[in-house]
Amino acid sequence: MLPEGLSWLEASALGRAVRGAGVWSYATINLAHILGVATLFGSVLLLDLKLLGLFQRVPLSQLSLPTVRLAAIGFGIAALSGLCLLATNATEYTGNPFLPIKFGAIAAGLANVLLVHRMRAWRDRVLESFTPLQQRQLALAGLISLLAWTTAVASGRMLGYW
Amino acid sequence: MNSRILPRIAFMVFAMGTAALPVAAHHGWAGQSDTQTRVTGKVHKPVSLDGPHASLQIVVDGQVWDVTLAPPARTQNAGLLPATLKVGEEVTILGNRSRDPKRFEMKTVRVTAGSRNFDVYPDRIK
Repeated sequence: MLPEGLSWLEASALGRAVRGAGVWSYATINLAHILGVATLFGSVLLLDLKLLGLFQRVPLSQLSLPTVRLAAIGFGIAALSGLCLLATNATEYTGNPFLPIKFGAIAAGLANVLLVHRMRAWRDRVLESFTPLQQRQLALAGLISLLAWTTAVASGRMLGYW
Repeated sequence: MNSRILPRIAFMVFAMGTAALPVAAHHGWAGQSDTQTRVTGKVHKPVSLDGPHASLQIVVDGQVWDVTLAPPARTQNAGLLPATLKVGEEVTILGNRSRDPKRFEMKTVRVTAGSRNFDVYPDRIK
């Protein structure tokens, strides 16, 4: 199924548009991808380390405001530019083991976001008082997030070296 | 208790992930043979200036070779455009072959078609 999906993506209007956009198009979209990933990962790193117990003098509800917003913006830029990059020469990634690892890690990272937003400790974070159990829940979510996004970035980087 | 241990675990995981990065072969030339070889064949797929590297394909004794060129802008500046080489035209490529003998891929520094040389990596020609 994956090879067919990659062929379809490469043959799509998006693939044709990116390929027809000139010799600097790939490099330019790649730049957007890097900026998106940097914004996403930088924000996620700050928030995850906070959830893991660092930066104790910074209230969670203060740090979560800019980091969550920037992470969402970074993710949007990275996802859009990434789709364009993949559409350029999607079939070349057939059989590349880093591709399923990367998308699996992204799926895990996004699932973790949904789970965290359902946690009472997260929703009531403005109160800034957490039970030990809630602290452990938040820390676990931070650890999963850090693992998922580190894996996504690392396997994304490795894609081109396979 | 947890607030002391978990950050350490996180940093360890992060450090290990980062340390593992340079181990893999590089995009560049590390996965290629140190010696340069010449291969002559017929153009199977004309020059493409899409993607991270320009490319073309040639057929040598029934075997399709992937010819990896320089990044698109550099390849274009060397005079290689999608219309430059026609399918079926005889070309000779000079470059560094993939170290994997089962992969017919050449990271190419010069393409020769007739009397024309297209030097995509002039400083790498040995």
